[in-house]
Amino acid sequence: MRLPSLLRLVVRNFVSNLDPLAMVIRFGQPAFLVVVLGTMFSALVPPGTVAAGSYMAFLVPGAIAFQMVAGGVIAGNLFWLDRRWSMVEQIFVGPFRRAEYLAALVLTALLFSLVGVGLMILVAIPFIHLPALTALDLAVILLTIAMGGLFFATFLIAIGTRLRSANAYFTIQSFIQLFLVFLSTVYYPVSAKTPRLLADVLYANPLTYAANAVRDAFLNRLGTTDVLALGILSGLSLVTFALAAWGFRTMDPGAVQ
Amino acid sequence: MPDDLVLRTVDLGYAYVPGRFAMRHLDLELRRGEILGLLGRNGAGKTTTVRVLTTLLPPTEGTAEILGSDIREGGPRLRSRIGVVLQTEAFDFVTVERNLTLYAFLWGVSRESAKARAEEMIELFELQKVRSRKPWALSGGERRRLQVARELMHDMDLLFLDEPTAGLDAVARHRILGYLKERARKGLSIVFTTHIMHEADLLCDRIAVLHEGKLLRTDTAQALKKAYTGARRVTIEFDRDPGTSRTALLELLRERGRGIEIGRQEGPGLSFRSTNPEEMVALLTSWAPPHGLSVTRLDVREVTLEEAFLGLVGGHGPEEGTGELVEEP
Repeated sequence: MRLPSLLRLVVRNFVSNLDPLAMVIRFGQPAFLVVVLGTMFSALVPPGTVAAGSYMAFLVPGAIAFQMVAGGVIAGNLFWLDRRWSMVEQIFVGPFRRAEYLAALVLTALLFSLVGVGLMILVAIPFIHLPALTALDLAVILLTIAMGGLFFATFLIAIGTRLRSANAYFTIQSFIQLFLVFLSTVYYPVSAKTPRLLADVLYANPLTYAANAVRDAFLNRLGTTDVLALGILSGLSLVTFALAAWGFRTMDPGAVQ
Repeated sequence: MPDDLVLRTVDLGYAYVPGRFAMRHLDLELRRGEILGLLGRNGAGKTTTVRVLTTLLPPTEGTAEILGSDIREGGPRLRSRIGVVLQTEAFDFVTVERNLTLYAFLWGVSRESAKARAEEMIELFELQKVRSRKPWALSGGERRRLQVARELMHDMDLLFLDEPTAGLDAVARHRILGYLKERARKGLSIVFTTHIMHEADLLCDRIAVLHEGKLLRTDTAQALKKAYTGARRVTIEFDRDPGTSRTALLELLRERGRGIEIGRQEGPGLSFRSTNPEEMVALLTSWAPPHGLSVTRLDVREVTLEEAFLGLVGGHGPEEGTGELVEEP
């Protein structure tokens, strides 16, 4: 039986471009962060600073939310590797719509994110004692990861469609990733002691909303702020998706540096 | 569009920058089972033409129909009936064999057919020894062979080949050209760009000569050669240097030769093109003995496609020619 074009492209992404060693490192990295940072940073974050109680219980949901960034980076990398090796051009002259190729990149990234989330939870369970998740909590976590993954994947792809140099793309991507990780609430919370400017920057980062929503879901304390955060993330995802689709429609997929 | 017409363009043009056309006023037709060569110098617009016709670039003006569909609207359905070997190298990060089967999978070819075709292509394109290597571990020629082989993994009605034999040795080139000719005999239509005139002469049913983005002429190789001057090249060698008689000989040739272009004229040899070669040969063989010379070698042959091409794009053709004697480069 012939698979639909979209799924054929997704399978091709996994077979062609995801190097096994890179996948092990990508999946292993967040788990490593939870174990190493979780135990080391605990000493730096005094008890009672985070609402979750222990720092580990604070960190794990944040690191899970970070999987959406990891997925986005994967999508951006896949796209740029295909561009660099002229496979974008080859696929565009094949029996596919450009939108299908974009959707396949996003779907690959989401699958990657979800596997990452599953692994993180498996690693985190022995270290923390989180309350059992309700169906609503789980739905919010998955939806947040999906929307956030869509946002970061299409954001990076949209940038990638406008560039003609791999060097420029990977430099920009590293900068964005650094900004997203360290200026979000993934690793530390916003508290009364947080400088005002830093707090403003943290709240300008979509990853902060995603991390907060996932954390609240894990702690069974979802509220209207989380619904709002999810709404903002969904809106941003639609905007970046539209930008990426426009980028695909208008880009010249010809040779790049 | 008639049934046997696979491709038709009318006044097709593409501008990378508004107002600056890389290709313009292109009128082409291609029939089922026909091989059309696109010939032109670097930057003549060949690759742009292929990129527009394969829907990578939207036409700036004019229309193009492929297999009855407008290229602006054909989408995946149209592209599912064409194959494209791009000028740039494009590969997946897997072995040679996996590149073939993965590409077939992308095109929806069944696993069994893909496996059988991969074996056929590996043998045909002599990739047996490198089947387990990844593309970056191959030589330039092997990569090119893989790229052509991969495109032949799926069925199609029309195949675009943008310089498919670049970097290939003569044996591989002949093998690929022979296979393409065979496929064309079975009904596959082919658009083929190349710099190698001999290749175009051998393979193409018709040739479109592009120059600075414009189509100069579309015709058979034979007609192009004839249209250039209708001339043939005569090479003659005497038993010794004509010496002081050379001036008289050249004057005689100028006087009696039609559309003559004199080339090499050193030592005992002389070479020229003319539209009345038989008459000139008779003249030379009767002129030689009274001047104490005898003819030791005589050769009359058609002008090559390369000469015709140079004449067309260099402005040395019959329409543009000055009629003056021209030294060959």
